[in-house]
Parts: sequence; C-alpha cells; structure tokens
Amino acid sequence: MSKNQSWILKHPWSVRSFHYLLVLSFIPLAITGVVLFFKPFDQLTMNLYMRIHVVTGVILTLDAVAYFIIGFTRVIAFVKRSFSFSANDIKWFSILGGYPQKFLLRKKVAVPPMGKYNSGQKLFGICVLIGGTILIATGWGLWGFPHILPHSMAALFGTLHLVFGWLLILFLLVHIFLGIYMFDDFKAMFLHGKIPCEEAKEMAPLWVEREVVKIER
Amino acid sequence: MNAEARTYQKGEIPGIIAINADVCKGCDSCKRYCPTGAITGMFGAIHSIDVEKCINCGQCLINCPFGSIYETVDTVDTVIVKLQDKNVTVVGIPAPAVRVAIGEEFGMADGSLVTKEMYGAMKKAGFEILDNNFAADLTIMEEGTEFIVRARHALFGEEAHGHKVGPLPQFTSCCPAWVRYVETRYPALIPNLSSAKSPQQMAGPLAKTYGALEVWKKPPETIYTVGIMPCTAKKFEASRPEFTSAYHFLKKEGKAGSDTPYPDVDTVLTTRDIARLFKKMKIDFTKVGETDGGPLAEYTGAGTIFGNTGGVMEAAVRTAYKVLTGNELQPLEFKKVRGMKGVKSASVTLMDTKYGKEVTVNLAVVNGIHGNIEPVLESIMAGTSPYHFIEVMNCPGGCVNGGGQPIKSDGSSWLRVALPLFGWK
Amino acid sequence: MKDERYQYEESPSYVSRREFITISGIVIAILALPAVWIRSAVVKRNNYIRARINGLYRDDTGSKVRVSHGNSGVAKLYKDFAGHPLSEVSEELFHTQSYINRTRI
Repeated sequence: MSKNQSWILKHPWSVRSFHYLLVLSFIPLAITGVVLFFKPFDQLTMNLYMRIHVVTGVILTLDAVAYFIIGFTRVIAFVKRSFSFSANDIKWFSILGGYPQKFLLRKKVAVPPMGKYNSGQKLFGICVLIGGTILIATGWGLWGFPHILPHSMAALFGTLHLVFGWLLILFLLVHIFLGIYMFDDFKAMFLHGKIPCEEAKEMAPLWVEREVVKIER
Repeated sequence: MNAEARTYQKGEIPGIIAINADVCKGCDSCKRYCPTGAITGMFGAIHSIDVEKCINCGQCLINCPFGSIYETVDTVDTVIVKLQDKNVTVVGIPAPAVRVAIGEEFGMADGSLVTKEMYGAMKKAGFEILDNNFAADLTIMEEGTEFIVRARHALFGEEAHGHKVGPLPQFTSCCPAWVRYVETRYPALIPNLSSAKSPQQMAGPLAKTYGALEVWKKPPETIYTVGIMPCTAKKFEASRPEFTSAYHFLKKEGKAGSDTPYPDVDTVLTTRDIARLFKKMKIDFTKVGETDGGPLAEYTGAGTIFGNTGGVMEAAVRTAYKVLTGNELQPLEFKKVRGMKGVKSASVTLMDTKYGKEVTVNLAVVNGIHGNIEPVLESIMAGTSPYHFIEVMNCPGGCVNGGGQPIKSDGSSWLRVALPLFGWK
Repeated sequence: MKDERYQYEESPSYVSRREFITISGIVIAILALPAVWIRSAVVKRNNYIRARINGLYRDDTGSKVRVSHGNSGVAKLYKDFAGHPLSEVSEELFHTQSYINRTRI
C-alpha cells in the first residue's frame, strides 16, 4: 500500500468499543456455557463457571443496552442492511461467496457485487440480532426468576438459550476465522477503524458506490 | 435405601423425592420452593436432596421447569394386582383435593369438580370407596372437640378425664409434611400438635374396623387400603410404624385375623398415580359416567374444603361455634381465612354456653410453610403469640396444589411477587 | 474534531427519516410483544390453584349439609361404634401420641 493510500472510516470508536466488550464477554460466555451444558466438574468448579457466566452475561447485557441507546442510528442502519436482500444474495450463496473455491481449489471466481455486508455476513447479522436478543432475555429469565415463570415457559427459555447458544458459538468460529483472514478488516475493528479504499472497492463495491462519501474539510 | 438415615424411624420410607442428575440444570428453582433448605448443590451444579431435611412435600417436584425431580415410590402396579385379586377388598380413600384436579389429567378444564366420575372410575377399577371427606368430617369432630377441651382447660381450668390436655396454640396435624417439619425442626412444639390423626390415617383404621366389620362384612385382614392423595408426603405418613392401630384394636377383640401387624393405610397413590392407574387399566375417565360412592362416601361441605388453604379452620369454626354456642354460625362462609395470603388471621368472639362467658378465639392460617411459618413459630417459642388455633398447610394454596397433583405446565406455585431473585451460591 | 488520517466515511443519510421511524418502530414492537406475552403468563401463573380452590368451594356451597356435625354417616359411626369424640375407641383409632422428636433418633 502506498503512502498516498486513501482510507474509509468503517468502524468508528463506538462500534470498536462495543465490539471489544462483546469479545471480552461473549468468548467467556461461550466457554462457560459449553462447560455448564456438559457439567463435567465438581460443585465448586461448576458454581465458579456459573458465576463467570452470570457476570459476563451482565457485562454483555449492559454493553448491548448501552450500544442500543448510544448507537441507535447505527443499530437501525445495521438492521436495514442485514434485512435488505436482492438477487445477488442468491448468486452469492450458490457459490458461497467464492470462499470454498479460494481455500480448497486455490481458484478465484467472480463474486456478485456486495454492499457493506456480504450475504453471509447478513445471515450472521440476522442471527446475532435475533439470537443475541433471545439469549440475553432468556438468560436473565433463567438466572433471575425461573420460579416465577410458568414451567413450560421456563423450559422454553432453557431450550431457546441452548439452541441459540450453540448456533452463535458455531457462527462465532466461522466469524473468528474469516475475521482474522480478512486482516485489513481485523485491524480496522481492533485498532484504528479504517480500511483502504481499494480493499473496500473489491469487497464491498456497492457500499463504496452508494453509501460512502468524501469528507468535506 | 438409605439405612443410615437419622431422622427416620425403622420402616419409614426415606427419600420419596429425588433429583435426576442427568436432567438437572442447576437453575435453583427448586431451592426457592423448598421449605426446609433440603436441596443441596450450588448454583450451576447438579442439585440433590438431603433426605434428613426433606419433608417430602413435593413442591420442588411440581415446580421444576425441566421435570428433573421424580418420586422414588410407585405402587401403581401393586395396586392393580390387588384389584385383580378376588380375595382382597381394595378400599380407595380419595382426598378432597383429588376431585378438583384429576380431571386435568384427562383433558378437562382446571378445577373441574368430578366427584361422581371419580367414584365411577374407581368402582369400575374395583375399588370400594371410603371418601376421605367422610374422614375429614370425623377429623373435625375429633380435632374440634380436642380444641374445645384445650381451650376450656387453658381459660377455665377445666380438667379432662382420661387423657392429657395439650397446650395452646393447637396446631392442625392434617399435613404430614408439616408434622415432619415440627418433628425435625421444632420438637419443642410437638405437644402443640393436635393429637388427632390426619384424615387419611383416620380413614385407614376406620376401613379396617368399622368398614370391614359393619359395612362391607369382610375379614379385616383382607382389606387393602389405598390412600388417593394430592400429596407425596402422605406416602411417608402411611409408612410410619406406629400407624397400625386397627391391627392392635382388632387383636384385643380377637378379630385381627393375622399375627403380623398390618398398616392402617397399606399404600398411597398420588393424583398423578391414580390417573396413570386408570389409563393402565384402560378406564376412560371422561366416559365412565356418574356413580354414587356408597355408605362411607357421605360427606359435607365442611369436609370437602379441607383441600383448600383455610379449609380446615373454616370447617372447625363451623362445628366449634355450634358446639359452644348451640347455634349455627351465620353466615357459614368464614371468609377471613380464605384467599392466598401467606398468613391469615381472624378472631371469633362467642359465648361459651357451658360457662356462660364470652370468649375471643384468635385463629391463624399459614398458607405454605416456606417463608411464612418461621415468624409464627418463633413468636410461639418466645411466648408472645396471640393465637389459640393455627392451621398449617405446607403447600401454597393448600392440598389442591399438593406435590402429588397433576403438574400444570402453564403455571407455577409461586404466590409472592418476586423475591428472592438471582441465583449465586 | 475529525481525524485527518481518513478521507471517506459513511453517508449519515443512508437511512432516510421515514425508514428510520419505520424500522425503529418494528424493532421496538418486536422487543415489546414478547415482554407483554411473558408478563401476562406470569400474572396468570397461579390461576390453576384458584380454579381448584373455587372447585372445592363450589362443592361446599352445593352440598346439602355444610357442617361436619351434620354428617349423618359420622353420627351413625359414633352411635354404632365409636361412642363420642375423644372416647376410648376414638383415642385408640383416631388419635396418636406418637409424634417423635426426630432430632434425637
């Protein structure tokens, strides 16, 4: 990259700090959640895992609520992007974004033009939005007042917490792998928030074309 | 089972309620229902039940969201074998609360009153019927009279002939979980328990003596009594070794017909068990039609409300009022002891015609031991309690919400607003 | 103050005012509806107990005799068999002196 490289601000500080807290709370939650599912240890250790699960769960909730309030416009934009579909999405999924070809066959295939999020990211976004909300709500119910809920509802909370927990853990593995693979994006999210214009034009041409504006100074 | 159990007599069943470790999620719901803190296991870890502390009430069982708590005692098949044995007369003793709940197991609306259908299904299965409501009326006669004796002893110094007079306040003794609670935690208050047995334990000897000899004309040793109860603690109560009074009574008259003592109540089925028995015997409860119960199924409105919180108190007030004043209580509904409050209190001022004096009796009804009983008991221990007669039922709402009742998936027994919230330890 | 090291950013007008109101309405409704559903289920959680209690009170009010001392079967039992409340037979069959101090077993 040349020194005259131009940059687009992709992740402002609010997004980055939200994401940091999300990482710091969700990864312990996922690990302790899996342990709590299999119950392999003795009383004290299981209790310790449950306490970590509870504390990180509270952190994640506060993080999500704070971002929902502070970054409400960005949440709405995220919802809009995640739920806008076009014929390109079908094409994208039919070749799975070209990733299997890239990793397995070492072959580059033409990928339909994408917005800020590609179709896979949109699917992930929808799962995180819905699943995350359900996990937070059911988690508080199961922690705080399972005895007040009607039994069938408490059991439903348990099932939902389990299903979406596993779903998000599986998505998280893919997300971590691809996130590190796209190293420019990784740096943007964890360091400075910017990605190079060329990279953006290749990965998200529609975004650059329709949504990105030059800053007037 | 646990041979080293310390709070059980020889012959009693320890550990009627148990937790299935494979299903337990460590959510702590059960702990919040347990009246004695018998559930061990930290938040997030697998829970288990301390049989020494457990009073077998089954509230955790009907309130576990994940269905991981179960009963270890199941005698449905034994009862079916007895029903098919022509030499055995099986006497079913259905409790008040069963008749408003068993319909739920067969798809009827909550609280459907199905006494006659229940009699019909029981007759079809081969039971003779001694309605526990009949025994409840008998309980009121005995326990109410006992209260009058105790009250007159305390107020007027009247001496009773032939037996000891216990102190006030008098506690009801109908609830076996409550009796075990006193026995394990407040032994100093044992004399305050009414000496009257619970209706089930009155019905057992009644069936084997009066019923066998005068009603069914069968040898007492061939009578097999089955309590049909909304309650898991009744299984424990029936196994108490001292409850063989019918045998000893008959032995003295040379009519026992056996040299080994037999229990007053041979076995207990919960409401869930009896529904399962009907299903196993292919009896369609909804199509069985209405039947009368026979001579020992005669009961009054006072007997049937035993299943509700405050019901024993209300029934006792109706009878004691009549005995003391000579007049019926007007109106018969004694509404102050009804409702879902944790501790309900009332007082009745009446004229004791025998002494010609006006007396005020303070009554209390404890609706659910958990969270309600301790202040009441502590004030009695401290000598500051104003009450003379206290009804205690372990389960919130009374026997209708007992641990043996059909499990309502769209409900929960929690009566209070919220607290305690949030598990930690 | 703007960071000088980047030249482009997302257009703040990507979501129009109308879209913003619509989407936020939908989001808040989707969050609120389950909350209403859960609340109503929690409020109704004890109804089965009340239904059973009312069932027994219906049995009481529908009974011809509503006081225990009016039960003719019990009266017959006392006449033919037990004598009277707290009689010797009653004490033997219907009373117990065997409550035990279980802290000392």
